[in-house]
Amino acid sequence: MVKLMDNLEKRLKNDASLIKAEVSAEMQERIRASLQSTQPVSPDPKKPESRGMSLWLTSSLTGLAAAALIIVLVNWNTSIETNGETDSMPSVPSLSEQIPFPLSAETVEWTAPLEEELRNLQSDLEKARENVERDLRESF
Amino acid sequence: MSLQFWKTRNQHGRRETPGSLATEEQLIESAQEGSVAAFSKLVEMYQERLLRFLLVRCRSRADAEDAIQDTFINAYRYIRSYNPRWRFSTWLFRIALRNAAKISQLDERAEGLTPDKSSDPLEECIVASERENLWLTARQSLSADAYSAMWLRYVEDMSVKDVARALEKPVSWTKVTLMRSRRRLGSEMTGGNEATANGEAYG
Repeated sequence: MVKLMDNLEKRLKNDASLIKAEVSAEMQERIRASLQSTQPVSPDPKKPESRGMSLWLTSSLTGLAAAALIIVLVNWNTSIETNGETDSMPSVPSLSEQIPFPLSAETVEWTAPLEEELRNLQSDLEKARENVERDLRESF
Repeated sequence: MSLQFWKTRNQHGRRETPGSLATEEQLIESAQEGSVAAFSKLVEMYQERLLRFLLVRCRSRADAEDAIQDTFINAYRYIRSYNPRWRFSTWLFRIALRNAAKISQLDERAEGLTPDKSSDPLEECIVASERENLWLTARQSLSADAYSAMWLRYVEDMSVKDVARALEKPVSWTKVTLMRSRRRLGSEMTGGNEATANGEAYG
């Protein structure tokens, strides 16, 4: 396959050399006359530079504007979230959130003796009042 | 062309003798300074190569001659825009391709005809040989762009990158087109019809 391609390249070169394309004297004269009446055009060096400069300036300004817009939007959203948090968030956390065990069950266990104690105190107070009344009746 | 023609003054009024300008780069520099004589030397160097190439792109020898004249005029007019990073031949062939395309479009619009095979300028210029010239086969089996790519690569010895630049096509397109065109022509050369059985020419 490689040999075939090498042969192809050789034959392409060889066959191209068999194409005879001589430029006639008349044709050469035409070209010469055309060139004599033609002037090279000076490329304007400012044009591509100004185009590049304006492109650079435009892209820079667009980038800056986009960055500023993003910063403003991010800050705006953050301030809204902060205000919302201060309004809704309680200043002191509830006790139930801080106590890791169920509070209702503990309440029952803790209050029963206190109520009994209260009843004892009330009965003691009643006994004391009856003693005071009895002493007063006996004295007067 | 007479020696008197070469002894001309450039735009700066400097008398010059292009015979002393040895290299292509020096001729280009002088032409950029406005020397018609230096550019005429470049014309002399490239005119036959360009004409051979344009004969296959144009419908007639007259069109090819018009195209070559326009090519040299445009090249001289815009010689100061030439970037030395490119090969001068790449730049010149690119201009030639544009002019050939423009002339072909004008012809098609004016006449609404397809190229007349009976007056093929390429056939007229081919020296008689025992076997058919491969470029005639290539012209029949390849598209115009594929044909140009093959010519620039294997006759003008341009790199793939330069071929892509001259044709104003991507390098990847050029590589694929060259590969398929070689395969097709290789098949034609060996008398097989492997490539033609695969469908139309690429490009």
